Amino acid sequence: MRVDIQSLGTFNQLAHEGATQATESLSQLTGIDAVVDITKITLMSRADVGEELGDDEFVGVQFDFDGALQGQTVLVFESGSVGTLIEALVPGGADGEMARSGVAEIGNIMMSGFIDGWADYLEATIDHSPPQYIERTGADVLPEPPANEEDEQIFVFKSSIEWVGESVSFYIYMLPEYDPLAGLMSELGDPGQDAIPVDKLEVFNDMTTQGTEKAAQNVEMMTGIETTAEVTQISFAAIEDVPKQIGTETYVGTVVEFTGTPSGYLMVLFDEVSARNVADALMPTDAEGTELTEAHKSAIEELGNIMTSGFVDGWANVLQTSVEHTPPELVHDMGRAIVDPLAAQVGQHQEHAFIIESTMKTDEIEFQSEIHALPNEAELRAALEALDVDRADETEADAEQLFK
Amino acid sequence: MKVYDGSTTGGSTEMPTEQKKVGIAEFEVTTSGAVLTTSGLGSCIGVALYDGTAEVAGLVHVMLPTAENTDGNRAKFADTGIEVLVEAMEDRGADRRRITAKVAGGSDMLDFSENGSSIGSRNLDSVRETLATFSIPIEGEDVGGDHGRSLKLEAATGDLVVKSASQDSTKL
Repeated sequence: MRVDIQSLGTFNQLAHEGATQATESLSQLTGIDAVVDITKITLMSRADVGEELGDDEFVGVQFDFDGALQGQTVLVFESGSVGTLIEALVPGGADGEMARSGVAEIGNIMMSGFIDGWADYLEATIDHSPPQYIERTGADVLPEPPANEEDEQIFVFKSSIEWVGESVSFYIYMLPEYDPLAGLMSELGDPGQDAIPVDKLEVFNDMTTQGTEKAAQNVEMMTGIETTAEVTQISFAAIEDVPKQIGTETYVGTVVEFTGTPSGYLMVLFDEVSARNVADALMPTDAEGTELTEAHKSAIEELGNIMTSGFVDGWANVLQTSVEHTPPELVHDMGRAIVDPLAAQVGQHQEHAFIIESTMKTDEIEFQSEIHALPNEAELRAALEALDVDRADETEADAEQLFK
Repeated sequence: MKVYDGSTTGGSTEMPTEQKKVGIAEFEVTTSGAVLTTSGLGSCIGVALYDGTAEVAGLVHVMLPTAENTDGNRAKFADTGIEVLVEAMEDRGADRRRITAKVAGGSDMLDFSENGSSIGSRNLDSVRETLATFSIPIEGEDVGGDHGRSLKLEAATGDLVVKSASQDSTKL
């Protein structure tokens, strides 16, 4: 199955417009001012979908859809925002059953717009079921993966919507069944030069997962803290949405440019608390105070270097190309300001970008790290093109070797 | 294919203290004295334009120096971004002969380019050139360096407040 970049871009645009329309309906209904912050298509393991929702309480309004596309879509609100929504709809408030049906109705109106947008573009019919209201914790608010499909990789469309002036956000998840979606994408697109073989993208994702595991092992070896690789995913988004992948808070980490096939940029980022905690674990003596010292920063630089190497070497081995990287450059700044020069660099030649993301964390101390790679799209495509899937399967046995 | 250009126009019932966020490659115009904000500028540049007589203010967050073609999102590029902001402000009663500019961003915090100048400084060149072709004077600047910035344009006064991760905020 081949999917071209243009149709990935078009589908991303559709999801963005759908989310914008849904958000406008919400604003009209409630007077609440909200804007779509980011929309992206992500290829990830089914079991990992919604991982970013953490342990917070959510309210979801789920729909099944059927027709030209099949699958499920969910509108996810933070539980705390439901009161505000209801208050805006029914001044004086409502609770219990009335609140639930109010939220379901808002969801219904929002999602009709979202799904109709897709149907219009595809010039086909997509029907959706009545809304189903659910209250759950974290990713449980999303539909259960079908049995035996937890490990399958699927495309997920995710939009996050920001409530202006409030610290509340909500999300739209769309989980289409893989085959009809991939079929539509390859039908709509031009199977010519800029087509990406989807099965190879999956292989690449698998290898990135192993690279992250190796990077986590490196952290563990250096710090003695048990570290686990979490989610790995490859996303596709408009270039101006790339910096929004990172939070607005301050991050510490390293950035390298990698060259070869593909070329691009790789960031290893820690939030300030994590940076200090992990750096402390690397240092022979405890530093005083809570500031991030120069010693902390050089520990982070070293850690960033070893994590980067594991990652980049892994790719190079699988792609059988040579990928080299510059020495790590230490960064300590607003997250988005770190990414925007890199996105701009890549954005000189492309409108959309692939973003490879993975996270690792540990239960022992407060520590979390994110790895983000921003490859040059045309080169990633060429590298995937040259990747022999059979060989990748064979090398899977060797992967342990590769990532040593 | 339809293109979502990221631009929005404000409603007429805005409250005076309202805050509006301007995302990357987006612009916003206000006539109600709202506060326009944008965050996480690295090599990107925020261009704040102000016509005190007409009480129209606008902010654009541009990412790249110059647009190669005219379709697509104009607010993404310095040249077309300033152009689209000036047009939108004039639609709301501003006059380009009265508009003044304040500019912040365009840092060189990460520059792997071995030759040629960085994106940040090329963005800055393009912003200055474009403002010059509109004869819009630059009244304040906080540009370059190697740190990120966040901006707040107080449309009631035209003040542009610049914050960075490590320094106190400054007012332009």
